[in-house]
Amino acid sequence: MAIIRVPRPPRDTNVFAAAWGYTTTICTGLTLTLTIFFRQLLKREKSETVEWPEQPATYGERFKGKHFLTKREDGQVRCTACFLCATACPAQCIHIEAGQHPSNEIEKFPVRFEIDILRCVFCGYCEEACPVDAIRLGPEYAIVDTSEKKWVYTKDYLADRPALQGGIHSIKPENEKHTSIGHEPTAGERKSQAHHGHS
Amino acid sequence: MEFPKILTRFENIPNSRALATYEKHGGYEAARKVLGQKPEEVIALVKDSGLRGRGGAGFPTGLKWSFVPKSADTVYLLCNNDEGEPGTFKDRYILELSPHMLIEGMIIAAHAIGAKKAYIYTRCEFYDEIRWMNEAIEEAYKAGYLGANLLGTKLHIDLDHYIGAGAYICGEETGLISSLEGKKGQPKLKPPFPAVSGYLGKPTIVNNTETLAAVPWIITHGAAAYKAMGTEKSPGTKLFCVSGPVKKPGVFERPLGYPLKKLIFEDAGGMIDGKQLKAVIPGGASAPVLLPAEIETLTLDYEAIAAAGSMLGSGAVMVIPHDQPMMELLRILVNFFHHESCGQCTPCREGTGWLANIVQGVEEKTALPEDIEKLYQIALHMEGRTICALSDAAAMPTKAITKKFADELKQTIYANSRLGG
Amino acid sequence: MADTVTFRLNDKNVTVPKGWTVMQAAKQEKVDIPHFCWHPGLSVAGVCRFCMVHVQGARKLEIACNLQATEGMVVRTDTPEVKEAHKWGLEFHLINHPLDCPVCDQAGECGLQDFYMEVGKYPSQMTRPKVLKPKAVDLGPRLILDTERCILCSRCVRFEEEVTKTNALGIFDRGDRAIIGTYGEEKIAHNYQENLVDICPVGAFTSKKFRFKQRVWFLQEKSTICPGCSTGCKIQVHARTDRRTYYRVKPQTDEAVNGFWMCDKGRDTITHLNRESRLPQAQMMIEGKKQTVPVPQALNSLQRAIAAAGAQHTALLVSAHYTVEEYQAFFDYFCTQLGVKTIYQWRGDKEDRDAFDGILWRGDENPNTAGLLASLSQIQGRKVEARNELVACVAQDPKVLIALCPEVPFTSTWFQGDLAKLEGISHVSLWTCRYEATEAAGITSWIPMKGFAEKTGHFLNYQGAKRELEEAFPSAAASALSVVEAVQQLALPQPSVTL
Repeated sequence: MAIIRVPRPPRDTNVFAAAWGYTTTICTGLTLTLTIFFRQLLKREKSETVEWPEQPATYGERFKGKHFLTKREDGQVRCTACFLCATACPAQCIHIEAGQHPSNEIEKFPVRFEIDILRCVFCGYCEEACPVDAIRLGPEYAIVDTSEKKWVYTKDYLADRPALQGGIHSIKPENEKHTSIGHEPTAGERKSQAHHGHS
Repeated sequence: MEFPKILTRFENIPNSRALATYEKHGGYEAARKVLGQKPEEVIALVKDSGLRGRGGAGFPTGLKWSFVPKSADTVYLLCNNDEGEPGTFKDRYILELSPHMLIEGMIIAAHAIGAKKAYIYTRCEFYDEIRWMNEAIEEAYKAGYLGANLLGTKLHIDLDHYIGAGAYICGEETGLISSLEGKKGQPKLKPPFPAVSGYLGKPTIVNNTETLAAVPWIITHGAAAYKAMGTEKSPGTKLFCVSGPVKKPGVFERPLGYPLKKLIFEDAGGMIDGKQLKAVIPGGASAPVLLPAEIETLTLDYEAIAAAGSMLGSGAVMVIPHDQPMMELLRILVNFFHHESCGQCTPCREGTGWLANIVQGVEEKTALPEDIEKLYQIALHMEGRTICALSDAAAMPTKAITKKFADELKQTIYANSRLGG
Repeated sequence: MADTVTFRLNDKNVTVPKGWTVMQAAKQEKVDIPHFCWHPGLSVAGVCRFCMVHVQGARKLEIACNLQATEGMVVRTDTPEVKEAHKWGLEFHLINHPLDCPVCDQAGECGLQDFYMEVGKYPSQMTRPKVLKPKAVDLGPRLILDTERCILCSRCVRFEEEVTKTNALGIFDRGDRAIIGTYGEEKIAHNYQENLVDICPVGAFTSKKFRFKQRVWFLQEKSTICPGCSTGCKIQVHARTDRRTYYRVKPQTDEAVNGFWMCDKGRDTITHLNRESRLPQAQMMIEGKKQTVPVPQALNSLQRAIAAAGAQHTALLVSAHYTVEEYQAFFDYFCTQLGVKTIYQWRGDKEDRDAFDGILWRGDENPNTAGLLASLSQIQGRKVEARNELVACVAQDPKVLIALCPEVPFTSTWFQGDLAKLEGISHVSLWTCRYEATEAAGITSWIPMKGFAEKTGHFLNYQGAKRELEEAFPSAAASALSVVEAVQQLALPQPSVTL
């Protein structure tokens, strides 16, 4: 076996010259931090820190927090109980029990839809797996409660909790399976795209 | 110019449908002659004459008869009188002139294949023809031409007249057999072919009315006389039904190999009201259209028309004038096939529906020019994929129209779209 | 040889019996030819036009299902032309299909989905409104039909015509308006309805019992033998192992016994294995109160009861629902080792025990009658068949009775009725897998048993053919034993469990 000799780089003997780069950077950063600290201390600038929970704090709409179920125009959940979210869920925290809907148009709907939020890892796979835009992760992040039972979110809670302000409607057409490909949402459908409320 | 008259020889003869008139003109002599002969001799004679099936496919009749297994105890003869091809009105003309000609042809054919029971399958829309046929059958039974010991021989041939409900698909031979069996009129999977296992699972020969009606003449005058007419591969005469804006539309009996242009512009009198010829459908709705340039020297026989990319089919020559929008023609055609598809094979069931659906889109102003290419592609993949030929019948004209008139169809779509209209 | 033909299928010479179609040969050779309407148990319809293959010298593509293999034929299933035909064949099937896979029970085992992944994978060209047809039509006590999903392969129509000979189904109307249906308001009523669900290549027929219960991709299947009657059909049980719950039963192909089918009665033989109806633990009557006890304790008390009464006052009551291995172990221990002489066999008092419906179901609704009789013939003793007169039989003064209960719902209910008539026996030990058995009066102890899908062994069916049971899934009742295991425990030296 041949041994290849690799020449070593020449050793820098000047310690101060080597440390100079680090020192300046640290000082620059520290100066910025201190500047903002004093500015906010002297109320020259609004502070980003809020005294939560006394003061409300919100995230953007695209934050993946507490789940909710979207609704149809008539107020029923859009979910067709296809189990794709339950299949995709890596934490196996979604439990669905399907039933026959009185309307043959809808056919299948969830009699029970439960999310064990303690097991949930908020990966958002359920949202991505959903073929009918029925489940989403909303911007609510404060998940606090008092008993184990309340950690299992029921269908009613997921669709109708007060924070949702009467339920969220989806932009997707309801009878999607019978429309052609590339269907553009109509004006009415666009309007029904609501912003989900949160405090 | 004089033309040989075989099938239309009773034209201009008063009371031609009556048995007495038919007998006066040599009726049932061929049957008398044949019943003394062996079936093989009859089949050989018909084979020699080169008579080909007049229903559309042009299969040699004698050859078809010879397919019946020799060992078969029960054989059926069916006459396909379910004339449903749009533009075709030749079989009813035969019944109008002389139903006995058909009965005699069937007696000869039944003898040749050894059938004791024969059926005529007529569509229910032929109101008068059904009546005439029934009268003729009754006369023939009374005169001893049908039934037990017919014409003094030991033979027994029964003839029944069955009235179909008017489905296009029952004009397909296995569809006709299904319908006759009392089932839904759906073609049967081949093999087994009807000549081996057909009506009620027994060997069955299905022939067109025109084919059977030509048989007595061949027997009387010999194979050579028949072969002398027409071309080498397509001998004999054929009834051509000319329709469209011509001066004298109607049924013309002409030898095969007759020039198409002559038929339209001389015999049928040419176009009316100074209309120009835009296209011709030479063989019924399922035949691809031909452009005027393609018919310049075209002769009406199986080979020449096939070489031109169309088919002789049932001989229904449909003349299309210059002011006929091709989209309208396409719409009528695909809607017809959509309505008549039996729904058994997927490519036909879904394909005909899809074609009609896309053409419907033109009316709804949602069609796109690309749809013309799509129609062609759908038709291309419907062809040759199904049990019977209905899928091909829908595909071939669609392919021809979307190919030959693509520009016009695209313009129609554009004019009909939100942009153009 | 005269009775075989050799032809070439994709670069491989294949020899098959004369008269076979290319489709059959391809199945044997494991060459995939996509198809919908062809089914090995039904006649050839040739209507889906999907199984197109290329035959050298043929003018156009041929369908493999109706193409008889002939000597020297050269067939290819992989030419570009064939692939194009498959793609378009699928497109034609799908243009009017509602694509409601999310709500369709067949999703995951659907022919359309499978073949789309195999030969399709193209964007649909269908941009027009689809044909709408009736959905969720009630067609019988176990069937729901969705005519929109239907691809009109006519398998169900042929099944009704050829297998049950009821001709209940037909295709109505023509063209793309055609729908499957029954005549008028009639419902399908025979005992083989769910086979229609099995043979339906898409989700047109769904089972009312299984409908919306579970998605098929969560289910695992194991093969075993149906305990519903003495035919002994080979079946597959489908369960979610993470929930220890059985959801459905499907037939498995076994040409010799059940072909491709099984009856609906047999499909109901699975629910009793789920937790809700299981006897989870041994139970005993202690001082007039029913109490849950460990299995060894219950067995121990049985042993002491036998020791106190003596073998001559001990009787066995045996139903024909256990495997041959279990009977051998049971009789070995009780008759040969302990010397019990009285054996009652219970097979129900059905008059139509020899009945046969002409397809699969038999009047003898015990899966192992032949096995029980064979095992009994090898032992000495008084063997009585307890039919109507169960009470009279048992009244002949046994002090201890050990009963092997039937497990299948319809026979079990009946057995419970018979048991209720017993009285005056000091110790009755009921070996059962069913919780409802604990409702019976006059029983001293209950031993939890394993169900048919949880143990190995074999049944002998009506022909005396060996029907192998495989241990399918772990039991929902953790402490359940097979008879073999229970007898092994009994045969151990006295365990140190004390009251």
